[in-house]
Amino acid sequence: MDKRGQIVGGGLKNILIRERSGEKLEIGELLVVNDNFDPEDLYKNRDYTILQIKDIEYKSQMSPAIHELLAGMELEGHNPDLGFVEPELANYSVAAAKPMLAVHQKKAKYETKSPKRLPNFFNPLFSIETEDLKFLKPKNTENSLYLGNVRSGSNVLEDLTVYINAKDALTHHILIPATTGRGKSNLVKVMLCSLLSSKDAGILVLDPHDEYYGRNDIGLKDHEDSEDFLEYYSTDPPVGQSKLIINIKSITPKQVKGLTYLTQAQSEAVYLLHNRFGENWIFETFNTHHIEGVHPKTLQVLKRKLENILGIYVKKDEDGEVKLGYRRSLFKGGVVGESTINNITESLEQGKIVIIDSSKLNDPEELLVGSMILEKLFYQYKEYNTDELRKKPVISVIIEEAPRVLGKEAMESPGGNNIYGTIAREGRKFQIGLIAITQLSSLIPKTILANMNTKIILGNEMSVERHAIIESAAQDLSEDNRIIASLDKGEAIVSSVFTKFAIPIKIPYFNDYIKKFQTGNDGKQEKVRTQISG
Amino acid sequence: MHKFAHLADVHLGAQKTPELKKLEFETFKYILNTCVEENVDFIIIAGDLFHSNLPDLGVVKDAVGKLKEINELGIPIYVIYGSHDFSPNATSIIDIIAESGLLKKVFLPEIYDDEETGEEKLGLKFTVDPKTKAKLVGISAKKLGLEREYFKMLDRTSLESEEGFKIFVFHAALEILKRDLPTETLKLSYLPKGFDYYAGGDVHSASCYKDDDPEYGWITYPGSPFAGYPGDLEMTARNKRKSGFFIVDFDGKIQNVKFKKTKLVEYQYLPFDADDKTSYELNDEILNKIEETEFNEKIVIVKVRGTLTSGKTSDINFNEIRMNIRGKGAIHVGISHYSFHSREFEAVTYKGEEDSEIERNLFKENISNVDVLDDDLNDENGVELAVNLMNILKESQKVNEKKANYSSRILKDSLNILDI
Repeated sequence: MDKRGQIVGGGLKNILIRERSGEKLEIGELLVVNDNFDPEDLYKNRDYTILQIKDIEYKSQMSPAIHELLAGMELEGHNPDLGFVEPELANYSVAAAKPMLAVHQKKAKYETKSPKRLPNFFNPLFSIETEDLKFLKPKNTENSLYLGNVRSGSNVLEDLTVYINAKDALTHHILIPATTGRGKSNLVKVMLCSLLSSKDAGILVLDPHDEYYGRNDIGLKDHEDSEDFLEYYSTDPPVGQSKLIINIKSITPKQVKGLTYLTQAQSEAVYLLHNRFGENWIFETFNTHHIEGVHPKTLQVLKRKLENILGIYVKKDEDGEVKLGYRRSLFKGGVVGESTINNITESLEQGKIVIIDSSKLNDPEELLVGSMILEKLFYQYKEYNTDELRKKPVISVIIEEAPRVLGKEAMESPGGNNIYGTIAREGRKFQIGLIAITQLSSLIPKTILANMNTKIILGNEMSVERHAIIESAAQDLSEDNRIIASLDKGEAIVSSVFTKFAIPIKIPYFNDYIKKFQTGNDGKQEKVRTQISG
Repeated sequence: MHKFAHLADVHLGAQKTPELKKLEFETFKYILNTCVEENVDFIIIAGDLFHSNLPDLGVVKDAVGKLKEINELGIPIYVIYGSHDFSPNATSIIDIIAESGLLKKVFLPEIYDDEETGEEKLGLKFTVDPKTKAKLVGISAKKLGLEREYFKMLDRTSLESEEGFKIFVFHAALEILKRDLPTETLKLSYLPKGFDYYAGGDVHSASCYKDDDPEYGWITYPGSPFAGYPGDLEMTARNKRKSGFFIVDFDGKIQNVKFKKTKLVEYQYLPFDADDKTSYELNDEILNKIEETEFNEKIVIVKVRGTLTSGKTSDINFNEIRMNIRGKGAIHVGISHYSFHSREFEAVTYKGEEDSEIERNLFKENISNVDVLDDDLNDENGVELAVNLMNILKESQKVNEKKANYSSRILKDSLNILDI
């Protein structure tokens, strides 16, 4: 094991390390310094500290004036052979590192705590090895959420995978702050893939880019258990998948208010209609010219608003009876789509992943579908007693552009889609959590951000956004601003109350990762012709 | 303009009582007679014409007689198996009748390998109606919704590219429809697109779906015209179920879809709520209601639900209720008391090491609820007696013991226990 550097100064906030010549330390790299250890059997009993490099600078024993003079002489061709005597001693780099975790290892037992004392002065530092992070390995990975492999700088520890307890992490909400092109979709696909066969987590995915199922590419449909654990709803489903239809009978006045602005008079009118006609209230709104207690003009405006948001129009049949036509593919009347929400909540309660392809829906429609499912599920879960709830899978919902529902404006809007806010605040008690994806974490109130107990931070070039994330992280990331800015595609930092420290990770490429979940057909099986009777 | 009729789920042979058997067949006759009056060119039966794959021969004889009449009028009847009249191993009555030429099966499968992927594909051969040139193709049902495998393998491209007026016949409840029972459903996307009419079966209440979206034509379920399941009569009586068949006009495309009801008799639904009532109060209420209601030529469904505050469920004399209603001219009386309970026999969870201990505790707990005059049947004595009697009744027939000897042994031992 080669020394990478040696502690030469600094303090708990910033330990200074002289880099060994030629070692080329990297920002974000993890190093280990051993304090008390048995040199004969290093990995048996020891105390060690894990450090992460936050910054690196040039240092020299010479004065800057000499450097400048020498550079000038070289550049101007005065004496090109001039050089330093023993340059590796004269010039070097010093890295500033932050102690991340103090570990006491006794054989296979590891005790970890946040560093409260300095490692021994002048001790050498080594590259981190799998053995140093063995405590990260879960006892079993069955109900765990896989995120990637530990990464030290740009070096990936291939045999050290990062899992977090799925139930804890999902119910305590997950935030994925990411700007475009930093590997957010890949991360979500990897997470869903690792949870797909688990009966202990039901996940609702609102997918505005139709990118997770894999309609035309590799996706979750290619997982070997997808037939049993994956449901896909689309207004234009591929063969064998479900048609997303919402019957207008399932829509309540509150949900209409979430879709469009209603004045006080219109709002009162929709509740009156609902009270009077029950589930047929939308049809009856179009079926009549006069409703007692509702001003004709209000009724007229209401019809127009419903026409616009639901794509409904009136057509009359041969006998002159009012029939409704539906321009949008999501909303229908008649006998179809009454069970859609029920079917979805049932699947979630069975621990399945349900993907809603919302690529052809507009924003309010997407949020409406999500709200209808979550409201039903939330109140169902609320009714369960502790024992019943324990037997149920945890529910999580993946929502993109989260400030639409968790932003300050959305949270404060009257009649808004606040079931998402309700889940952010109270969901944990009922085993329901959010996986919120956003480019703009700063738009989410601090109280909500602080409740997102796991953050999977991908690269972000916007300083304001980085600060919003850093301020609300589970670990102190105040020195990590530059590290976050320098994260490449597929690199992330996991900061969670369920991890010992903010773990740098490399997320695998989904197309490679899913191969673990595909049963290879070696072609040796004898083909048996299907027999058809009937 | 051409015309066809679409029916399904007739379930001939489902009824057991003579009066309902008669109505079941009369409904079938009524449908076929209406088809003749309406001058239809052909008839589609989308599964479950019979209640089982080998029904009572009397039922078959009547049905074949009627089918023969239709056949002699030159009206073809196209059919697929439903989940009830299908048999994976044995021959179904549908095969026998089809062999005679009275029915024509439109599930004509052919398995072959896809040229590109090498995967197995299910090809379906169209049946062309000779008179109207309508093209029919169908998929028969299997038990427990296993026909989904057929739909997965289906070669949709060849079905969708076929030109002409096309009808797809199937026997499966679609997922997009509301389910009253937790039955297996079929996803809409499994159906090949571009057919003019999807003649469905398996859903016992009529429904009809025509989207503005042109991908699918009319998707219809005529429902069970009389009653296939025991609950169907109750649903009809409660106006929760529409039963009938469709008459469809077409001339290259659908012009009109008309629903014909098959409610040949009147129904009366009598619901009673036992909550907050004693058994005597409830009994009086039921008898009074019967007294003041006319039931002439009606099917009457009595539904009793709820929990009595006192008295036993057996205090309600359902036999007398049935006789009274019949006495006032009802064709049939159905009584449903599945959700009817008494507080005197609440379901309780008892703990114990062994079965015998649980049984003893159960008796002990409930004996105080039973008002018996004989002291020997109360308290511990009663429990002891019940346990001993139960042990005798648990005895099974011994090897080599004749049935008559076994019965007399159990009777003798029981009488001994009861000290009679």
